[in-house]
Amino acid sequence: MACAKKGGDAVRPYTRSSDMADTSIKEPFWSPARHLDKLSIVLFFAAWEAAPRLGGIVETFIAPPSLVLKTLVELFRQGEMLGHVTISLSRAVSGFGVAALVAIPLGFLLGGGFRTFERLVAPVLRFLGQVNPFSLFSLFVLLFGIGEFSKGAMIFWVSLWPILFNTINGVKSIDPLLVKSARSMGTGLTTLFFKVILPAASPGIFHGLKLGSGTAFFMLIAAEMIGASRGLGWLVWNAQINFQMPQLFAATVLISVLGLSLNFTFGALEEKLTGWRRKSAGES
Amino acid sequence: MSNLAENIIPDQEPKIVIRNIGRTFHIKKSPAGPHDFVALQEISLEVQKGEFVALVGPSGCGKSTLLDILAGLAKPNSGAVFIDGKQVTGPALDRGIVLQGYALFPWRTVRQNVEFGLEIKKVAKGERREISTRFIDLVGLKGFEDRFPHELSGGMKQRVAIARALAYDPEVLLMDEPFAAVDAQTRETLQDELLRIWEETRKTIIFVTHSIEEAVFLADRVAVLTANPGTVREIVPIDLPRPRQNSDIRSSPEFGWTRHKIWELLQNQPPADHRAGEQRPVADAISPSAAL
Repeated sequence: MACAKKGGDAVRPYTRSSDMADTSIKEPFWSPARHLDKLSIVLFFAAWEAAPRLGGIVETFIAPPSLVLKTLVELFRQGEMLGHVTISLSRAVSGFGVAALVAIPLGFLLGGGFRTFERLVAPVLRFLGQVNPFSLFSLFVLLFGIGEFSKGAMIFWVSLWPILFNTINGVKSIDPLLVKSARSMGTGLTTLFFKVILPAASPGIFHGLKLGSGTAFFMLIAAEMIGASRGLGWLVWNAQINFQMPQLFAATVLISVLGLSLNFTFGALEEKLTGWRRKSAGES
Repeated sequence: MSNLAENIIPDQEPKIVIRNIGRTFHIKKSPAGPHDFVALQEISLEVQKGEFVALVGPSGCGKSTLLDILAGLAKPNSGAVFIDGKQVTGPALDRGIVLQGYALFPWRTVRQNVEFGLEIKKVAKGERREISTRFIDLVGLKGFEDRFPHELSGGMKQRVAIARALAYDPEVLLMDEPFAAVDAQTRETLQDELLRIWEETRKTIIFVTHSIEEAVFLADRVAVLTANPGTVREIVPIDLPRPRQNSDIRSSPEFGWTRHKIWELLQNQPPADHRAGEQRPVADAISPSAAL
């Protein structure tokens, strides 16, 4: 190459310096540094298991992991658990799904075509985004009844805002030069949207979806604890009033695992679809 | 227009005809209150097929606005642009544009970026690949097809942008200060490469730049623009021998003389009588790289 890698690198619109951190050279497999994170979780469970046995912590309050696992397996074997998981997940997915279907197009409209209008309504939207549906629980029940719909509406409400705000930001932060360059090639509006605007805004949208899914799952458990007769939140609440600590822990652990896998799924999807943001110059 | 006549071969239809272009912006917010800013006034220029024309001028002379009008991205208030006798009404694939900020799509690899215009043109996939390979090769980026833009240096990004603009085979290439953001050494390499590519493809090129030296080195003719309002002051033919790339032409006396002539033209701009209070040396408004 006649043109060496020097200078002219001032413009790096899609690469924040923090993104460069995760491209450090990997330690070899046998290196202890590579397993530091796994070690911490093993130690954590070991300490948890040991504490009630060594005394100091009463087993009635803190159930050891072995007992939690046993309870969990039993709950699944009884066949009830799967029903709770299914109903919880279907509530979360439907509320979150509708929120995404509403928030993403709305975000494109507000962040793209109607910017003056967006400036006008932004403060109101920010305020509404901070409204906690649990403080208005009675209102939700009044409006949507006590059934599935009111729980769905609450999930919808909490996941709507992060998706909406991040979509607006994603659309607003599109480099106008990209649009100009595409338009100069005579790109039609539909093609411009699918080939330029949508991919350029996708990091923002994905960030919003990830945040929204976390919030949706978190709030789902709370909603089920307040008013439900089935679901993981109800299971926690039921164990609590019956003072069944192993069951309480079993449900909590399952919720954490589900939350983690949700996060992992969205992270993997984000990496696959918008990985061009992260890949760095050091590779190859 | 007088010095234009001697450069036109009479029986050849010009590729691009710019006729009496005027563009005025209405400025709402300014200390002087709302007023009209005349970015371009009665700009006329004719460019032959295969010719390389550079536009130089101080900041605010409307060079970039003129290029946007040529690209069909902006509309003039008066006048019209004709390419092959047909009036320009909007952007189209008969013109390729290369911008200072590269404007590469960061989610597309080098190859996918180069193929963008071909996708718009609905070229079949196999043919797209063939064409993109050829143009990536032409700009000297063989082996970098699967890199993402942020994995490239500034000079390499600009090569991709040039390949992208050439790939869909426009007859006219419009370049808006394409090498302004790269360092001096890369810039000279890219200028050499551009001349080589121009000679290989025989495109008609309109090249906007801040740098007098760049304009003299590259162009067949240099249109010197003035600011406030933006008009064509003079069109200077550059009679330096070609090929100029990979040669020491920059240090020849003819090169220095031509450069000085353009510099003088930019220096001795007529005082902007309608804005008497704001006279300042025009050279200050030109980037340091343009000064001698």
